Amino acid sequence: MTVNPRIKSFSMRDFFDKERNLGIILMLPGAILLIAFMAYPFFLGIWLSLTDSMIGRIGQFIGLRNFVDLLTDTIFHQTAKNTLIYALVTVPFKAMLGLGLALVLNRHMRFSSPIRAAVMMPWIVPTALSSLGWFMIFDPVFSPISWFFKHLGLISKNINFLGDPVLAISSVCWANIWRGVPFFGITILAGLQAVPQELHEAAAIDGASVWHRFRHVTIPSIKGVVLIASLLSIIWTFADFQLIYILTKGGPANQTHIFGTYTYQIGLQATEIGMGAAISLYMFPILAVFATLLLIYLRKEQ
Amino acid sequence: MKDHPKRGKEKGRLSRRDFLKAGAAGLGVAAMGGLLPDMLLAAKAPAFKKGTSLSILQGSYFIAPGQDLYKKQAQEWGEANGVAMSADFLNWPDLQAKIAASVQAGGHDIVELWPGLNYLYQNNLVDVHDMAEEFGKRGGGFEKYVLVSGKVKGRWLGMPHGYSNGSMAYRINWFKEAGCPNAEDGNKVDLTWDEYFAIGKKCKAKGHPFGQALGHSTGDPPGYCYPYMWAHGAMEVEKDGKTIAFNKPQFVEGMRKFIEGWKDAYDETGTSWDDSNNNRAYLSEQISSTFNGSSIYFAAKRDKPEIAKDTHHILIPKGPAGRFYWLETRTFAILKNSKNIPAAKEFLKWWFQDKQFGDWWRLQEGYMLQPVVKYYNDPTWLKDPKMLPFREQPKYGLNLGYAGLNNEKAALASSKYIVVDTFAKAVQGGDAKQAIEWGAEQLKRIYDR
Repeated sequence: MTVNPRIKSFSMRDFFDKERNLGIILMLPGAILLIAFMAYPFFLGIWLSLTDSMIGRIGQFIGLRNFVDLLTDTIFHQTAKNTLIYALVTVPFKAMLGLGLALVLNRHMRFSSPIRAAVMMPWIVPTALSSLGWFMIFDPVFSPISWFFKHLGLISKNINFLGDPVLAISSVCWANIWRGVPFFGITILAGLQAVPQELHEAAAIDGASVWHRFRHVTIPSIKGVVLIASLLSIIWTFADFQLIYILTKGGPANQTHIFGTYTYQIGLQATEIGMGAAISLYMFPILAVFATLLLIYLRKEQ
Repeated sequence: MKDHPKRGKEKGRLSRRDFLKAGAAGLGVAAMGGLLPDMLLAAKAPAFKKGTSLSILQGSYFIAPGQDLYKKQAQEWGEANGVAMSADFLNWPDLQAKIAASVQAGGHDIVELWPGLNYLYQNNLVDVHDMAEEFGKRGGGFEKYVLVSGKVKGRWLGMPHGYSNGSMAYRINWFKEAGCPNAEDGNKVDLTWDEYFAIGKKCKAKGHPFGQALGHSTGDPPGYCYPYMWAHGAMEVEKDGKTIAFNKPQFVEGMRKFIEGWKDAYDETGTSWDDSNNNRAYLSEQISSTFNGSSIYFAAKRDKPEIAKDTHHILIPKGPAGRFYWLETRTFAILKNSKNIPAAKEFLKWWFQDKQFGDWWRLQEGYMLQPVVKYYNDPTWLKDPKMLPFREQPKYGLNLGYAGLNNEKAALASSKYIVVDTFAKAVQGGDAKQAIEWGAEQLKRIYDR
């Protein structure tokens, strides 16, 4: 070793002592990850959506033609409608059921920790796996639900869970609600536990009934949590894919297509990757609105 | 299936050395048995670069022994040539996305292409024209369905190995009860769609409906809907590849009958069935007839012999415009982005020899339709008369996008399930004309671009 270690360590320390240098170094890994896995695919997606690229063939720039084409595509209209139903109509159900779940879990009872862990299951289990469970429950021929009602003599033929226009979208929404309730439940539970006990006691002393305490103490304290959970849930559900793909692949007759599955069908199966990118980018402004609302709200809270 | 490259290499050396040793020792050809031609081929094969590996992507087999044999054969060749072989078998609906990924980013050397994909990826496939021509010549010529679907612009971009069969399986006794003449021998039954639905109506009345998938699935739904459309005088597009020929009065009439037939004869939950629902429903005796490959019959022979005994097959019914099947060949193609093109070519050349291909084809007992005419007269077909209807399928084969080509437009139409969804819409909404108008409009969007 000819290099004097003292000089070397001194210069290194000097370098890291400058806040600006250290900041850049610490940010670098995160920035690289973001650029490689978020920014690059995003801008590539925008570029692809402006071309008529197919998989294995780089396309020509065609401006906004893909986006304009989609505006007159009835399957796309159906997809947009389905996605809105799937992401928005399910939220009140998730929120209500989640609130109920949280109120129950918030009571002191035996084994409350294992029970709390257990109710998280639908949220924790990989969606691909739980969707397979629903796939079997909704089976057109061997559904246990149909079997049960048939044996009770209430119905004479199998319920067409995923094959009837109204039932199909209802069934996938139901599976989606089932998956989403625990998230609301646990989030709201956290909110509930943050409500100071004194508030409840003070209200009780003032003669407030259980309902009044719930209405005027509990609800205001968890409003923010419910709002954040709802926005997150909408954003996640909007970009869903697995549940629908496993249950119906968008069928029958596109009655359950959502942006994710239609993108996959056009972009990867039909290999029209440019058009596929355009479909998924239609999600962007909608998601941006929800994400902005979320950020504004969080700012305000701070 | 993944084999350690080093082991494969060592074994490869060993087997060649063994062969030379055996030859030097003057062992008789008889002692070598049927292995000799293979070993000769192996001995002649060019030595590949050390560490060469081949990765093969295929659809999963409904006849499991066929998949096992393929793996074994690939392994055998790999060991003899010092090439590490691996094979992935994917669910059919997932195959295309994986191939797309391999085309775009690499990962597989040989891919099994479903009909139309050879057209879509024509710029990404290695030309194997001479190898394929040789295979065809050796087999006494290709079947027509292979000729119209396997080549792209006159060139073979993949080696055609045929397509899995598909026709109507039915329960003999229930058909007899419904008054179907000659029901005990499907080879003697020749039905129109009207007659088929009429039998179904009687079967359903007795609690044994027909079953048919109309969901978003790549096998049975198009395998049923396209032929029904063609049999009623409609097609996606005229020969010019532009003029939509979907909304035809004969087809509207045919669709009315289908809506009726669906209510009267079918299990109406079929709108959400995929390729496997009908197999399960048939094997659990829920349905009396369905369009499917012979895989149902195979599974029944293995697990439920009493159902197999009562099962036969008929050709798909005919309509006013004739009898048709959707039938195109699949191909084994080499991706241009493969780093092992010479090895991939050698492997395919070897696998398409009479021994390997013949073993593989015969083991599936008619599940794969013959790509070359030689196998039409193969004794395999005569082993089981219940398989004979499938042998005739190639005569009636048409491609997706007929009367045009199975090009990117036909692929888009089939990926969007336009034809299948037209049927699903018709039975859900009950309006034949409206459903067909929707389909025609969708096709116009695709073919007008």
